[in-house]
Amino acid sequence: MRGAKAVSSDSVTAKRSTQVARVQRGKRECVRTPAHRADELMDLARDAAQSQSLPDFLRRFAERTMRMLEAEWCGVAIFQGESTEVYSSSSSTQGKAGNLGKALGAAARTITEDVTNCPLRSLPFLTPAEKQLKFDAVFARIGAGDGEQLGCVCLLRQPKPLAAADRRLLEALASHAALSLVNSRRFSQLERSKRQWVEDIDAISDYIVVHDRRWKIVRTNRSLATVLGAPPVALVGEPMDRLREIAAGGSELPCPFCHDPQRTREEYMLAAQDRVYWISTSRTPNASEDDARTIHVLKDITDQREAERRYRDLFDSIQEGLFFATPEGRFLDVNDAMVRMLGYGSREELLRAEVSHHLYPDPGSREKVLQMLSERTVLRNYEETLRRKDGSLLHTLQNLTAARDAQGQIVQIRGLMLDVTEQRNFQSQLQRERDFNQKVLNTTQSMILVLDTAGLITYANRRCYEAGYRKSELIGHRLVEWVEASHGGEFNGALDTTAHGQQVDNLELRVRRSDGSMGHFSVSLSPMRDEQNAVNNLVVVMTDITDAAILQAKLAHAEKMATIGRLVSGVAHEVNNPLAAILGFTDLLLENPEVPEAARQDLRIILHETQRTKVIVQDLLSFARQRPAQREPVQVNVVLRQTIKLRSYDFASHGVEVAETLEEELPAAMGDAQQLQQVFLNILNNAYDAVQEAQRRGRIEIRTAQRGHQVEVLISDNGTGIADPERIFDPFYTTKQAGKGTGLGLSICYGIVRAHGGEIQCWNNVGGEGSTFLVRLPAVTEAALATAKEAGR
Amino acid sequence: MNATAAVRTAAPILLIEDEASVTAFVRAALERRGYSVVSAATGAEGIEQLTGKRYCGVISDIRMPGSMNGAEVHAWIQKNRPELRARIILISGDTANSETQALLDQSDTPCLEKPFRVQHLLSVVEKTFGKP
Repeated sequence: MRGAKAVSSDSVTAKRSTQVARVQRGKRECVRTPAHRADELMDLARDAAQSQSLPDFLRRFAERTMRMLEAEWCGVAIFQGESTEVYSSSSSTQGKAGNLGKALGAAARTITEDVTNCPLRSLPFLTPAEKQLKFDAVFARIGAGDGEQLGCVCLLRQPKPLAAADRRLLEALASHAALSLVNSRRFSQLERSKRQWVEDIDAISDYIVVHDRRWKIVRTNRSLATVLGAPPVALVGEPMDRLREIAAGGSELPCPFCHDPQRTREEYMLAAQDRVYWISTSRTPNASEDDARTIHVLKDITDQREAERRYRDLFDSIQEGLFFATPEGRFLDVNDAMVRMLGYGSREELLRAEVSHHLYPDPGSREKVLQMLSERTVLRNYEETLRRKDGSLLHTLQNLTAARDAQGQIVQIRGLMLDVTEQRNFQSQLQRERDFNQKVLNTTQSMILVLDTAGLITYANRRCYEAGYRKSELIGHRLVEWVEASHGGEFNGALDTTAHGQQVDNLELRVRRSDGSMGHFSVSLSPMRDEQNAVNNLVVVMTDITDAAILQAKLAHAEKMATIGRLVSGVAHEVNNPLAAILGFTDLLLENPEVPEAARQDLRIILHETQRTKVIVQDLLSFARQRPAQREPVQVNVVLRQTIKLRSYDFASHGVEVAETLEEELPAAMGDAQQLQQVFLNILNNAYDAVQEAQRRGRIEIRTAQRGHQVEVLISDNGTGIADPERIFDPFYTTKQAGKGTGLGLSICYGIVRAHGGEIQCWNNVGGEGSTFLVRLPAVTEAALATAKEAGR
Repeated sequence: MNATAAVRTAAPILLIEDEASVTAFVRAALERRGYSVVSAATGAEGIEQLTGKRYCGVISDIRMPGSMNGAEVHAWIQKNRPELRARIILISGDTANSETQALLDQSDTPCLEKPFRVQHLLSVVEKTFGKP
């Protein structure tokens, strides 16, 4: 049908065919001559070469064949896959052979020989009516070189045998047709391919432009033409300068995309207006002047660039250092933070190869990092110390990732780096401060405790434990538990004051020591505040000043005694003069025989009272006497026993028990036996008086012991105790009835013991009755013994 | 011996004492026993009295007001009146004084401690100066 359609559509050709047929019929005899046939074949070849349209050519071919072989009708059946197209010679036979042609075309597919002549009735696909037609069908196969059957030339002729010449002619014609078909097919394939290529190029979104040496556009693809607002064809021949509107800021050359026309390839980036292009340029090499082409492909990478720019911005604006480095530690890329951290002027400076030597103070650390990375690939919070440009150290915390090649070798290290120098410095400063505080806390001679606001101990320094307190008795306990009950109120008041934010300094309290004894402590309390400035802890600093207090008391007492001594000495002297006159004249009067007996009685009273006065003054003087005592080894136990013997009758008759616990190995004391006896006698007298007064069964305990380089004598009684232990050694201090004591006895003891280089103390017995006197005397040393011998010689 | 002793006993005792009441009772006690007594109220006065005169002995208080005390009188005699060197008796109101103590320890000079009994005074004087 297409064949019929094609004929009718090309009326010019159809008319010409009719004319040719008419002319050729007129000179039928001529056509049959071999010379004519050769001409026809030549024409056919020319026609084939020049023909633009295959169907037209095939129709002319059919007509020419019909004429040359004097056939009634000719058609060329073309096999395309399963379908068959038949191109027939003329429209005159259309009515008669239209359907018949189609049937012949179908029948042609069954033909197996190159040229076949057969009656219509023997053919398939024909209607019975067509089979009745008095024609022969002649088929000549059109085969490609490779044996493929491209189609078949079909003729209708008056029934007669096919002459050998005709057969050869038909074969020649068939091979012409084959050649034309193959050519046509190749050509159309080429056409199609070319069209496809253009379509493909047009489909590319990148802009493509080709220009010649005269800077004229040879071709653009559709994308570019669309941007320029013109069909691609309209741009051909335009100057390349026309494209400058999309390439502002491009090259100075007539083509805005050409930089160096001598190079066969160019690639660069062009930022034009708001777009960024990646321009790839190719130039056809070694081409003649006319054929030289330059092809520019413009890839719009604006979005990509934007993404890249954002990435770079992020990379550079991030405050942490980011880097890409070789496994050897050389930086490949770093961000601005990294440059800043390491103190370099620019990225380029830091990327220089020689920098890496300066960067790592410890070259071994690189190997360590690589080792760890090869085991783990990702390294988190790795601490490394780097050296800044100026040589100072940078402490960093790094998160590292290893990039590996196909063989698993580390090819790159990527990392994020934090500058922790300040933290490290702060940390080490903190550590130093902590160490310092710890040392101060641990080496101070003061006890330092921290209490919470409830007054419970939460911390105690080492000194507390050295002083013998146990952790279990301190931590979690109230400090007030250790303060003497009578001072508890004062201490709690101080706690309260401190809890309200005020410091309390040098509070003097009696505090129980770890061994149970009471000590004199200086206590200071300071508030500790939290971030909100609220007091959350109290710091208590306690210093045992017992020794200092005792020393101070001793000094004060010694000074007092010296003053009293001087006073007593002066008074005694002044009193002695009138006393001497009174005593003297009394004696004289008593010797006078003229004095009556009555007066003599009175004089004896005067004498007695004068003598009593004399004793008092002598006591005073012996207290004040600064005469050095004798210095010789004294067996204290012996002196004590002699002294006890002096009073043993009195003690026994008054039911006072005396218990002696004397250390037999007691060393001798250096001193004056006479004076020491006076001391012990005074103390024993005092004890005797005290137990008498208490009106209970008296008991006096005497103990001696060696304590270091001293001999210690303890005399305890269960008497009434001492009203005021601090005043008992003061002269004239007495609690006895008037006339029973001068109050000088213990003052004299004090003076004697002090003169011996010893000490005397007394206190009321804790938790018991009575009091205890302690006398300490220096023990005899080898040196002291030698000195004494030397003096005695 | 007796002759010189008699001559010497005829000589008075020099009593140097600033306390008038003490001077009075000592003089009374000595004179009653038969001694003659010359008294001086200060050390300086005592030295004055000693110049160019004979005494059987000197009794001097140790602590006295003025430029010369008993210790200095003692030293002066030791130096200027060698015949009286062993004929000195000191009176002390205050033996606790260390200077006094040193003086007494050095010389075997007898010392009467105030207040003293008349019998004690006479026995020391007789022992040191001899009977009147």
